[in-house]
This record gives sequence, C-alpha cells and structure tokens, in this order.
Amino acid sequence: MTKKAMLVCILTDVHLWVPVIVLILGTTLLMTLR
Amino acid sequence: MAARTRSTISLHKLGVFCGLAAAVWLGSAEAPTKLVNEGFSPFLISMGMVMGAFVARWSLPTMLKGTGFVFTDLREKPHLIVWALLGGMLWAVANTLTIFAVRNVGLAIAFPLWNTNSLVGLFWGCLLFKELRGSRARDWAKVIGGASAIVGGAAVLALATTQSTSAPGRAVVGIIAALGAGVLLGTMYIPYRKAYISGMNPLSFVTIFTFGEVGTMLVLGLVFYGGAHPLLAELHRARTMLFWPFLGGFCWVVGDLFQQYAAKYIGISRGIPLSNTNQLWGLAWGALVFGEFVGLAMGAKLLIVAGSTIMIAGAVSISMAAPPPSELENWNGAMRRECDRYALDTGTVAAVVSGDDPLADRKHTRRWWEVLIMVAAVGVFIWLAVGTRAQHIYVNIPWMLVLIAGTIVPLVLVGTLLWRRTRFS
Repeated sequence: MTKKAMLVCILTDVHLWVPVIVLILGTTLLMTLR
Repeated sequence: MAARTRSTISLHKLGVFCGLAAAVWLGSAEAPTKLVNEGFSPFLISMGMVMGAFVARWSLPTMLKGTGFVFTDLREKPHLIVWALLGGMLWAVANTLTIFAVRNVGLAIAFPLWNTNSLVGLFWGCLLFKELRGSRARDWAKVIGGASAIVGGAAVLALATTQSTSAPGRAVVGIIAALGAGVLLGTMYIPYRKAYISGMNPLSFVTIFTFGEVGTMLVLGLVFYGGAHPLLAELHRARTMLFWPFLGGFCWVVGDLFQQYAAKYIGISRGIPLSNTNQLWGLAWGALVFGEFVGLAMGAKLLIVAGSTIMIAGAVSISMAAPPPSELENWNGAMRRECDRYALDTGTVAAVVSGDDPLADRKHTRRWWEVLIMVAAVGVFIWLAVGTRAQHIYVNIPWMLVLIAGTIVPLVLVGTLLWRRTRFS
C-alpha cells in the first residue's frame, strides 16, 4: 500500500473522525470552563 | 515447541481476569496521590502522573518484549500510530476535565459521572465494531445490565462517601466537566479496539499513546500556566512531592496495560465496565489504609456495602456473558474490514487477535539502548525519591501491607496467565 493510498484510507475512515470530533468538542468545553 | 507449552484458557476468561486485574491496579494508582498534602494544584498532580506514565509506557514494553518487537509491530501497521496518538490526546483532555469536575463537585459526585464512560464505550463498541451484534438477548441483558449496575453501584458509593458539597453555582460546571470526561474516555476506547482488531500488540500501542498524552498535557500546561517559565517554576516548587503522583502514574499504566488486554480479548463493551470496578479498590485504600471513613454513620456504611455489592454483581454478570459464535462472526467481520481497508494479512491478523502472534515466539535481538531506557527509568525514580518530603498522613500499615499484597498477587497471576496463553501478544 502506498503512503498516499494509506493517507486517503485514514482520512476517509469513520473511526478517525468520531474521536477527532469528540476531541475537538472536549477541548472546546475545557477552554470554555477555564 | 513453544506452542505446546501454551495455556489453553479461553480468551473470554483471560480477558475477564485482565479486566479485574486492571481494576485492582487502576484503583491502587490513586493511593500514592492521596499521600500528597494539600497545597498543590490538581493539574500539577496530574502532570506528575503523566510523567510516571510516560516512563512506565516506555520501560515496561522494553522490559517485556524489547524495542525490536515494538518497532517491527509498528512498521507492519503504521496507520495505527495516528489512532494511538489520538487516544493519548483524548485521555489528556479527559483527565484535565476530571480535575475541573473534582474541584467543583468533589470526587464523590464526579467519579460516577465519568464512570459513564463504560456505557459510552459500550455504545461505540456496538456501533463501530459490531460487538454484541448477533448475541443472544440474555447476553445483551448480562452486559448492558452489568455495565449499568457498575455505574449504578458507583453512584451509590458516591452518595455514601459524599463528605461535603461545593458552592452550588459551580456545581453545574463540575457536572458538565465530569460528563464531558466520561464521553471523552468512552470515545478513547475506539482507538484501543481499532488497534487490537488490526492485530497490534497492546505494548506497541501504549508506547505511541504516551506521546499523545504527554504532548497534549504539555500544551495544556503551557496554556493554563501562561508559558514555560511559570510551569517550570510550579514543577520546581512541587519537587518534594512529585514522587507520589509519579508512582501513581506508573501503577496506573500497569492497570491500563491489563485494561488494554481486556479490550483486546473481550472487547470494550465487556472489558471497560470490568476495569471500571476500580472504584472498589480506591474505596478499600481510602477506608482501610487512610481511615477516611472513621466516624461514618451506619446508614452510610450500609450504602457502601450496597454499592459495592451492586458493582460486584455487575462484574459477575459481564464475566458470565461470553460471546456466542454468532457474535464472534461479527467481531471477525470488523477485523476483515480493517484488513481490507489497510491491506493487512487476514491470516496473520486473525492469529494475533486470537492470542497467537507469529512474532511473539520469534527471537528479537536486545539492543544496547534498551539498557539505557531501563537505567533512565530507574534513575528518574531514584532521583524523585531522594529529596521527597515525608507526608504527614495517617496510614494503617497492616492494612497497607494486605492491600499491597492484594495488588501484587493479580499482577503475578494474571501476568503469568497472559504470558502462558498469548506471550503478551
């Protein structure tokens, strides 16, 4: 598998975006509470 | 030859033992932090724990498998480095949120709220990794009922141990922070499970996980303290107590490693609720060693017994819910998805997932830098221990020895079992 193909697979993987979105929301919450 | 000497214990039983051993160590990891007198910010204590965790996440895998094994494993599944880093970042933000929660509503209320992470993990496990799919109704009932009982038992324990209430105006913020931490921690198990159905070794995973953890904690530290100088000054001021949270972080990693193996062998929907019974062990340390509940009313004592019983019943319920073949077929479907997507060898991954990693029995040359890693880890421990100020806190020595023994026994027994069955794969 080429690096480019792997990158595409990673970026289109729902398993990536669910934690990323939760991380963004969690960090936003943390900064708001601060 | 080596395969013949392997234990034949079922992976479900092994995973259950790992989940319970994780609970013992994750609960005991709280004990060293209790030895810290007040006067230091919770953030600093958390940072000390992360430093201990960093040292443990490098030294333990190096000692158990060697860097050669870890690097080979990482080279075969390089895409998972992204998820390992992501998992560490989620943990760091979640841990900081829990500090806010503890500050505003106290540990007793915050703990059961973030304990909901097991329900969040159960949801993601079912939705994204097909856990519980194809299972019988009674298995669903055992797992969901067991996880709910563990959260419910945590709530009862919290009610019993609530000593004081914080200012009402801050309570809402604390509750939001605790629930947010629960969602983040529950989501953190997505990277765990993804790594293990792709055939990654938990020891390799945590080696990368820690960079996400430490990097995010450093960024948060810089933001919270307003730069490197104030942060370093605070760390310097805390020098005399840093050993204790550092030790706590080290113990936490031992528990987390067992938790990782539980997530690998019985999935996150079963493994995480089991490891979340760690509150029982935290309670045992608090009650028996630190005498926290001296003078507690009879009603509160009864609540503690009731909450503990509910939690244990929940753990027993999950332990008895071994996945039937129809569910395991769905687990395999989730594994094949990873193999197809990332061009992994299905046969090899299937072997690793079932605890028979072909790499495990292969000899890996030990490297000279592994000695350096171990020496550095021991050196940091000694450096922190020297100059640590004695903390004036009540400790019941006989009970402490009993609980230390109770912590070491599962480490040896379950560690041996893991080695005999999987060679730590």
